[in-house]
Amino acid sequence: MANVLTLKTVKLDQVTPRWWHRLGGIRTAIFYVVMVAISAFSLFPLVWMAGTSLKTAEEANRSQLNIIPEEAQWDNYTHLIEDSNFQRAYLNSVFVTTMVLIGTTVSVSLVAFAFSRLEWKGRNVVFALMLGTLMIPDQMTMVPQYVLFFKLGWLRSFNPITLPGFFAGGAALIFLLRQFMMTIPKEIDEAAMMDGANPIQTWWYIIMPLCRPAIATISIFLFVGNWNSLFRPIVYLKQAELTTMPIYVSLLNNNQESPIPWQNIMAASVLFVLPVLVTFILSQRFFVEGITLTGSKG
Amino acid sequence: MANQYRLENIFWALGTVAFIAITSYLIGLVAKFLVKLRGFSETEQRKAFWGALFAGPWISGFFIFVAGPTLVSLYYSFTDYKLGKPIEWIGLENYRVLLKGEGTYGGRFKGAMFNSFYYAAIGVPLQIVTSLGMAMLLNREVKGIRLFRTIFYLPVILAGGPAVLLAWRYMFATNGGFVNVSLQRFADSFFLFDYIYRSVVYVVESLNGFYIGMAVRDDPIGPLKYTFPALLGLFLIGPLAFGEWEESKRNRALRIIEILGAILVGVLFSKGLAANPINPVWTYAFGLMAVGIMILNARAEKWSAIRTTQIIALVFIAASLVMTLKAADFNPTKGDAPKYLIALIVAALPLMVPFFGTWTAFTTKLMLAAVGILGVIIFVLLIPGQLDGGRLELIFRYLTFQSAIEQPNNMDYLEEVFPFETISTMWFYGSIILVAAIAALLHERYPKQRKVFLYAAFIFFALIALNSFLDTRRYFQDFANIAEANGKPNYHFARFHEFADEYPENRRVPFWLTNDIWSKPSLVLITMWSSGAGMLIFLAALKGVPRSLYEAAEVDGASGVQKFFKITLPMISPALFYNIVIGVIASLQTFEMVFIIGTTETESSLMSAAFFLYQRTFQQLEIGQGSAASWILVVIIVGLTAMQFRFSKWVHYEA
Repeated sequence: MANVLTLKTVKLDQVTPRWWHRLGGIRTAIFYVVMVAISAFSLFPLVWMAGTSLKTAEEANRSQLNIIPEEAQWDNYTHLIEDSNFQRAYLNSVFVTTMVLIGTTVSVSLVAFAFSRLEWKGRNVVFALMLGTLMIPDQMTMVPQYVLFFKLGWLRSFNPITLPGFFAGGAALIFLLRQFMMTIPKEIDEAAMMDGANPIQTWWYIIMPLCRPAIATISIFLFVGNWNSLFRPIVYLKQAELTTMPIYVSLLNNNQESPIPWQNIMAASVLFVLPVLVTFILSQRFFVEGITLTGSKG
Repeated sequence: MANQYRLENIFWALGTVAFIAITSYLIGLVAKFLVKLRGFSETEQRKAFWGALFAGPWISGFFIFVAGPTLVSLYYSFTDYKLGKPIEWIGLENYRVLLKGEGTYGGRFKGAMFNSFYYAAIGVPLQIVTSLGMAMLLNREVKGIRLFRTIFYLPVILAGGPAVLLAWRYMFATNGGFVNVSLQRFADSFFLFDYIYRSVVYVVESLNGFYIGMAVRDDPIGPLKYTFPALLGLFLIGPLAFGEWEESKRNRALRIIEILGAILVGVLFSKGLAANPINPVWTYAFGLMAVGIMILNARAEKWSAIRTTQIIALVFIAASLVMTLKAADFNPTKGDAPKYLIALIVAALPLMVPFFGTWTAFTTKLMLAAVGILGVIIFVLLIPGQLDGGRLELIFRYLTFQSAIEQPNNMDYLEEVFPFETISTMWFYGSIILVAAIAALLHERYPKQRKVFLYAAFIFFALIALNSFLDTRRYFQDFANIAEANGKPNYHFARFHEFADEYPENRRVPFWLTNDIWSKPSLVLITMWSSGAGMLIFLAALKGVPRSLYEAAEVDGASGVQKFFKITLPMISPALFYNIVIGVIASLQTFEMVFIIGTTETESSLMSAAFFLYQRTFQQLEIGQGSAASWILVVIIVGLTAMQFRFSKWVHYEA
């Protein structure tokens, strides 16, 4: 403990200032003021977004600090919801996210099962290989994958976005789920095997129900990641019929209207952010656990 | 949901599931066969079958989406493949263009690397400070802490999507945007805040203008060239000037001479010492330097070092001789050749001396005489070329800021003071060497003079650094005149100028996102806002620091600051290092922010490696170059990750 040893030499006149201890209750107050200030900093883009979405075009482009609109313009939302482009983009997003969610969750849980509950020759080699792929950034495989999908004729479809997930995409997710499955006692599936269940039955009837919290965590990660995802969709979903919400929202900004219709952009943004926000608030416990477990950004 | 594309996708998904099921079954069979080959029992074979079957989705995905593409992309990177066109092997051409920054796209890639360096140097530390600060605030058991943690983390989730980035873009409007209006209100509320606000704006503006000038060397941003060598001089001479003079300092001075000298010679050599019509004064200077190093080494009684210097210097001279002769078609009397040849021979002569016998006191005298002669030659050659036309006076004026004060919008004096277009900074590197050499020579007998001399040198470099830094600022303040005078359009400060007219310096506001100077700070602010992921990592690390350590420190009367630096920071250093590496990697991979926040004007200053990849591959379909760029990126990322693994071992505290 070299660090502690060096502290022994500290002179006595360098102790904590007494005034700080004397502050007592005020100290707590200062603490909360700081916390609230940081919270305000964290939240204000969101609040500003919501406020602007209810303003008129003129008010949204005015230079002022009013967060709350003079008169709430709910029309901004009704117009948007009636817009067929918006509907299509929203449904596309829901569709794509659902497909990825189902495909990835199922395949990831299969693979995690193989890595944790089954004993087989070569498991360690394959597992090490999988951990090795954690190091490979997306950028390396993205270019040839594009050529692959081009050759398959999939550039004008959802396939490049949804189908790779079915191949247990995401080594970090496999790892997370595997770590969770390792904590389940061995006796449980041994008993099932005794009763004549094959591994598929063990996986579906015994292990999967026990893994609900971990599966919830990876589903949330997948949901947020895919709902927000812009890079891959913008590469593959160039056609209007395939547009997802991130593309729709980001393109709203680029039309040449003047003044920029910020109130409409912000209304679309609010509707876009809402599912993620609700998911996050309802499940923030899973988030925190998942991140400290894998160190990934979700 | 009835949409043709979605239905199609569902069919393909069903097909994929069937495909995965079949391949997994086949993989299972293969695994079973392999285990059988190695002579394991029936049970083991069955286990291998089931194991491989379950891992099948990942294994097949690995081959289709990772291993295969990796190999293919390595192949593409050596070709000029463009989607829909035939492939042609071009060897290392793509890598050469990207790494050397050739042409428009090579330049953009280089720009992306410079931008990442900016984030690594400025953005990531700020992000670390924010996230660590938030984590330390959260690391206590009080009411409502979970709610605060949720709120602090929220931006991370939102920042991943385009919606909130658009909101930021909206709030960043220079004229009447939320950020600027609230900052203005804050500044107006109390006169001291106003000063703070303006100083921050001034510093951010200057630093970024400075950085842009550093990153984009081709631009007519003259003054910056001198800042780097001046800072280097400060950095190298400072430790020599301050504190007690010790034996080790002389050795350090010798190292400075050797290393800088080698670099200088290398640079000059690469520019073609003989082939280019460079002033032969450099050859004499080179000889002088080599002789000087030999004398200093003799003083330090390092005999093998003398031999090394001698041989290296003679090899250089021999090579220059050959190059000179080759340039003159091996006719020593042709054109300028005699001038160079004489210089080379004169410089070589003293270098030959130590070949004869051992080094004696007489050798030293001989060498000192050579130094004197070479010095006189250089002086004679330099005076007419360099010091006429009041150049000394000009240098004096530059050092005393007179030129800047008298002619605020004219930087011609810079061209006059430091005349060589490409190698004028060599003067500074040369003077660092000179200072170190004189300091080492003044070693024993003249301690007082040495101190005065080193202080003077330090002040000289400090003045150059400060003055050229201020010049930079004046430069982008008035870029239009200067760019025009230089005959080069300067797009980097284009929009800046537009706003600068509207907001003169005494009521300057941040011009977020509108120009290259303010685009990067905007991005840094957004990453600071969304630094919650790092915060959670820090929080987990902080929770792992044993309370007993703090208690022991408190018993010993340690203050809060001491506890932080002596206990907290060492204990969480693995998390710290992890966050730094992740931050740098993330800056290379930034895409959404550039896509949403960048405009045509600021795209080049926000360009990240990932965005370059996107443009090159997916917009222009240049698969070959895109693959090469992705491989460079991968090498950097894997290198950083490997470094993280290595360092996380020894960064950890010694328990």
